[in-house]
Amino acid sequence: MKQIKSVRLGESYTRIDHSSGLTLLLCPMVGFSSAYALFATKYGSVDSCFKTGLDDDFTQVPAGIAHYLEHKMFESEQGDAFARYAATGANANAYTSFDRTAYLFSCSDHFAESLDILLDFVTDPYFTEQTVEKERGIIAQEIKMYDDSPEWRVFFNMLGAMYHENPVRVDIAGTVESIAEIDEKLLYRCYNTFYNLRNMVLCVAGGFDPDTVVKAADRILKPAGELKVERRKFHEPSTVRERKVEQVLPVAQPLFHIGFKGVAGASEAQNLYHQTLDELLVEIIAGEASPLYRRLYDQGLINQTFSGEAMASRDYALCFFAGESRDPEQVHVQLVQEIERLKLEGIPEEVFRRCQKALYGRYMSIYGNVNAVAGLMLTCHFAGIEMYELLDVIANATLGGLQDRMLQSFDTDKCSISVVTSGA
Amino acid sequence: MSSKLERASIGQGIHLGAVRDPKFKHNLLSASFVLPLSEKDVSDNAVTPYILRKGCRECPDFSSLNARLAGLYGAALDADITKFGGWQVLELSIRGLDNRFALENEDVTTQCAELLASVLLDPKLDGKGLFDEKDTALERQYVLDTIEAQINDKRAYARSQCIKHMCAGEPNAVRRYGSIETARAITPESAVRAYRRMVETAPVELIFVGSGDSARFAQVFQKRFGQVRRSPLQLERMRPREKADKVRERVEHMDLSQSKLVMGMRTGGAAGPRELQARRVFSALYGGTPFSKLFLNVREKLSLCYYCASRFDVSTGLITVESGVEAKNSDKARQEVLRQLKAVQEGGFDETELANTKLLLKNSIRSTGDTLTGLQGWYMAQVLRGRNDSPEEDAAQIEAVTRDEVIEAARAVTLDTVYFLTGNEEEAQ
Repeated sequence: MKQIKSVRLGESYTRIDHSSGLTLLLCPMVGFSSAYALFATKYGSVDSCFKTGLDDDFTQVPAGIAHYLEHKMFESEQGDAFARYAATGANANAYTSFDRTAYLFSCSDHFAESLDILLDFVTDPYFTEQTVEKERGIIAQEIKMYDDSPEWRVFFNMLGAMYHENPVRVDIAGTVESIAEIDEKLLYRCYNTFYNLRNMVLCVAGGFDPDTVVKAADRILKPAGELKVERRKFHEPSTVRERKVEQVLPVAQPLFHIGFKGVAGASEAQNLYHQTLDELLVEIIAGEASPLYRRLYDQGLINQTFSGEAMASRDYALCFFAGESRDPEQVHVQLVQEIERLKLEGIPEEVFRRCQKALYGRYMSIYGNVNAVAGLMLTCHFAGIEMYELLDVIANATLGGLQDRMLQSFDTDKCSISVVTSGA
Repeated sequence: MSSKLERASIGQGIHLGAVRDPKFKHNLLSASFVLPLSEKDVSDNAVTPYILRKGCRECPDFSSLNARLAGLYGAALDADITKFGGWQVLELSIRGLDNRFALENEDVTTQCAELLASVLLDPKLDGKGLFDEKDTALERQYVLDTIEAQINDKRAYARSQCIKHMCAGEPNAVRRYGSIETARAITPESAVRAYRRMVETAPVELIFVGSGDSARFAQVFQKRFGQVRRSPLQLERMRPREKADKVRERVEHMDLSQSKLVMGMRTGGAAGPRELQARRVFSALYGGTPFSKLFLNVREKLSLCYYCASRFDVSTGLITVESGVEAKNSDKARQEVLRQLKAVQEGGFDETELANTKLLLKNSIRSTGDTLTGLQGWYMAQVLRGRNDSPEEDAAQIEAVTRDEVIEAARAVTLDTVYFLTGNEEEAQ
């Protein structure tokens, strides 16, 4: 058991390495009525080629299988997990992203009962040929919904353009064709490989009693076997695959994503520290107070939907800017010019200080929000760091360090633009 | 821990409500102006908060205003337009870090309050007393873009089309940003007229939520509004039509792979608080939870669609049942939606279903007190409804709803409009 403290906030949370192999991260928050629990495995859409200790060779599984598995986990011999949650009033859900699958609930009452359900159904898979078959139609409808979503398409088209090999370029839910190959045997195989408690974490934040969580874990969780999984390494060239991709869909005005391919660091921890610094750079380059934002806005090239983001995980790091524009190419040109200018002339000290304060304030609001705290504990845990470190990364950032970082994360030669237009 | 909104008048037609809770690390201050929805003024009204957001006399330049906000620990100054029944609500809000966490002991809260007041009441006007031409043109374009971008989100688009057809001729049919035509007509003159209307005639609701000192916020606004000559409007409440006389059908084609079926329903005439809660419980039991009739039958049992849910709008008394279906399944889905309605009308649900539905509703109601925006939105909706119930009180009212009241609410429901958004004909074959 370890108490993780923030001097800055005067707050703390607890880490418990449970005898079952599961890590518990518990952050009770005074004054909050709701509690939020996330039970997650470090397994997402990018884990599509792997082997365990028993295998001779790597297996390539169909795209979308982690997401399919997430859907199927809700069923058990005793019935549907949603039906069980119905009796506790919890708001339950799950999501699959590139690098994780998370099962969650939020509640303001009957926390202990809901937690039992969560721990129980995620550790107790049950699927048959029939139940797997039944889900296929529902997931196909979900995929079609994403296919119709210009916001979704413009993002994934960008990733597809930036990466050659990295599976981050593949849609999380897969395609109607790829999910056709999924059966119960494959699902069990993925489950047994990745839903090992040593590969998982339980994060709880808000109004709850930590003791309840420990007791539930003691009662429900069985000790996990050794974790033996090897993910296939792939060679990802540092260049982008395509500089421009375009798709035609009904949209009012073109949507764009402009992505800069960064250099993934030596460790996941480093990637997350870098991502935080990259967020600061995104703010400096094109935040609402930046000269570039002003110019683009005044020329009518961007509107309030414009935003920038940094994202990184195991083996990728990128930054992108997104929005609507009548002339996305022009936004691209000016963005590249501004980045080159900043590299050449340097970031002004007062701009750096102001953006640092802005990001500091924004992170503060994460620490004051129940759902966000649980999410941040999760992200940090999978990267092997502690939640409050990110606040220190921001407070301790230096101008020199940031200028160096900019050379790594904003190489204008490694940039792709994705556009969705109505074709008119 | 959900405290109650303490609300008092601080001027003509101006109220200020505050909820203080030390658990928050930020403070949120919002100013909402309520105006009747009308086709004529809607776009001019809608553009105004966005023009104001571009600068004020003391920070006349968009970048200097944004730099000021960044320096206030990334304080967020947001404009928003919403609808509540037949009303249009124009809102500007600022959310800033509480003083306790400022690195250099700045009084962030007071500075945020002053800045919001300046943006609202001391705008940047030219020699003729008009908004800047360029700002107006850019924000007019933004309103136009927003109206046009509605087709990007097919689910929301289908819902709003259904409501538009269903409520043709009523204020509620007017979209919150207006139409392309009314938005094109925005000028610096028309926008300034809208601005005067907003600060001089609209009832104003100021809300403070956070851990800081709300008294400072009150002082700042009392002083600033004291300099405005006001003659506030008396707003009339929307009277929803009681029931549908016949079912109207509308089909629209678009290039898409998943069709959207929206069924618009009426729930009876004006309702007292108790009836209203019964309608909420009914809608949740029918299609508002993952164990509702619609979810379990239309999605899970028949696998007809990825989503099928009903949504009850307290402000209009309308229910929309929305689903994403394959075109060939739309008739089946529609029949099943109606069959499930009939089942509830005939009392085809048990005590457990009802209890579980209430449990889920109470759970989400109680959780609203845990975020600043949740609390602010909660009390703003209460004020607009003419009430001041805390989440805890609302949860108790939900609990009190009986089985018979749910059946009665279900029986008052009539199908008014079926709207179907589907692929282009050749693809549908």
